[in-house]
Amino acid sequence: MTVDLRVDLNGLTLQNPIIAASGTYGYDDEFSVFCDVNKLGAVVTKAITIEPRPGNEGARIFETCCGMINRIGLENMGITEFISSRTAKNGAAVQIVNIAGSTLDEYVQLAKICDGKVGAIELNLSCPNVAHGCLEFGTDEKALYEVVSAARAEFSGHITAKLTPNVTSIEKIAVAAQKAGANAVSAINTVKGLGIKINPDFTKEIVRGGLSGRAIKPVALGAVERIAQSVDIPVIGMGGIYTLDDVLEFFAVGADAVQIGTANFTHPDICEKLADDLAKFMEDNGFKTLDELKARLR
Amino acid sequence: MKGKVKKTEKVANGMFMLQFEAPQGFNVRPGQFVSILCPDLTLRRPFSCADFEDGAVTVLFKLKGKGTSFLAGLQPGDEIDFVGPLGNGFDISDKHALVIGAGVGIAPVYFLNKFLKQSHFVGAFKSEDEVPKDFEPDEVIIGGTILDHLERLIAEHKPEIIHACGPSVVLRAITRCGVTSQIAMEKVMACGIGVCKGCVIKLNRGGVVQNATICHDGPVFDGGEVVWE
Repeated sequence: MTVDLRVDLNGLTLQNPIIAASGTYGYDDEFSVFCDVNKLGAVVTKAITIEPRPGNEGARIFETCCGMINRIGLENMGITEFISSRTAKNGAAVQIVNIAGSTLDEYVQLAKICDGKVGAIELNLSCPNVAHGCLEFGTDEKALYEVVSAARAEFSGHITAKLTPNVTSIEKIAVAAQKAGANAVSAINTVKGLGIKINPDFTKEIVRGGLSGRAIKPVALGAVERIAQSVDIPVIGMGGIYTLDDVLEFFAVGADAVQIGTANFTHPDICEKLADDLAKFMEDNGFKTLDELKARLR
Repeated sequence: MKGKVKKTEKVANGMFMLQFEAPQGFNVRPGQFVSILCPDLTLRRPFSCADFEDGAVTVLFKLKGKGTSFLAGLQPGDEIDFVGPLGNGFDISDKHALVIGAGVGIAPVYFLNKFLKQSHFVGAFKSEDEVPKDFEPDEVIIGGTILDHLERLIAEHKPEIIHACGPSVVLRAITRCGVTSQIAMEKVMACGIGVCKGCVIKLNRGGVVQNATICHDGPVFDGGEVVWE
């Protein structure tokens, strides 16, 4: 029996629902040294801004119990170089371009530049690690509605709005994204946190940034469930996914596809492996399509 | 990639050696590193190779926390999951070299020194019991810092290049001593292949300050290019 892993994300069809998350997989095929990147459903690029950015000064990573905090600060090559050198390198795995702006106008410009050049964008409305933009758009329904609408007006392809958990009601933000014309929403971005190490001489190392990894899975599952109950557009779930069981749990609470982030750092072939594991699980259990599996899980 | 543990051994006070067989075809240059999976930890642990002979990789590490405790407890025959070789490695030339390793930083330069034709290899340690067994350099310096000896070492050995690894305070001084240097650097790493930008330092290349990842663009850098924090 062959199984059909395809998933329709409301205007974007992926060969399977396993997606590499932004910031953990490079721009396109960097992980091909570890696995067959084209066995993934999609790869989301590192967040890209109008101008190249050097990122934050100082320590950028802090390992925590069951997770890590990062404050990279959107280091990237800028949209111009990206468009001219890094698009459409992958084959079967769809490239989703994550874009981040400091102002509404920057999102508009980025969407305009991407239109016709790339098939799908993910709006980073939730980076906690830069002084301006991103998170400010992601924590206010009205501001988010404006930025998604503005991007929608400029970009004819598939738009995913990536949401932050650092809000009171993520489902209300998701509803605003849907109203503004997003094809899908993805959640969750990292959870705001702080890592601190007190040295024997009482000096301190402190990293304030976004927490990711296994520690945030319950937060993510809760957010995805509430979003899925509130919107009709597809929900892409992420946060602490390491195993096939994790993937099934996200499907069970309403995710249509999943992104894998931090796990790529320890298990660089995990995305390919999860795609294989999912196919085998469906085959072993007699599910012909992903919808059949999801229906059984819900 | 899977490795099979050959042995683990305490080689100095608080310092251990792990030797494992790598799969056929594996090769590594001095200065390159492997990243080893430790159970329940979010990040792999990167280690410079201290030796590579007959298909066996040797790494040295200080006992620091959960990851290194796991490694120290491995038994011959145990399987480990590692990624590598990662990073760029040292340039190997016929230049007269001064090779300096401070503390556990001795690992990559011990490996490098085996490939150098003209070198003087110095190891600097806090105390006598921290000198790793079987990794003895030509000259051991105990206590103080290597900085107290740098001027003398340069005068005595007249190096054309210094290769070094150790704490950043040592490396910084070496890059400012007037001799061309190549230094192996270290920082907390996540991806190990340059994509996450977690282990970035600044380089000054021809007057242009730019970012470089230690894991992918390094860990070995021309000392004169490093911009210190």
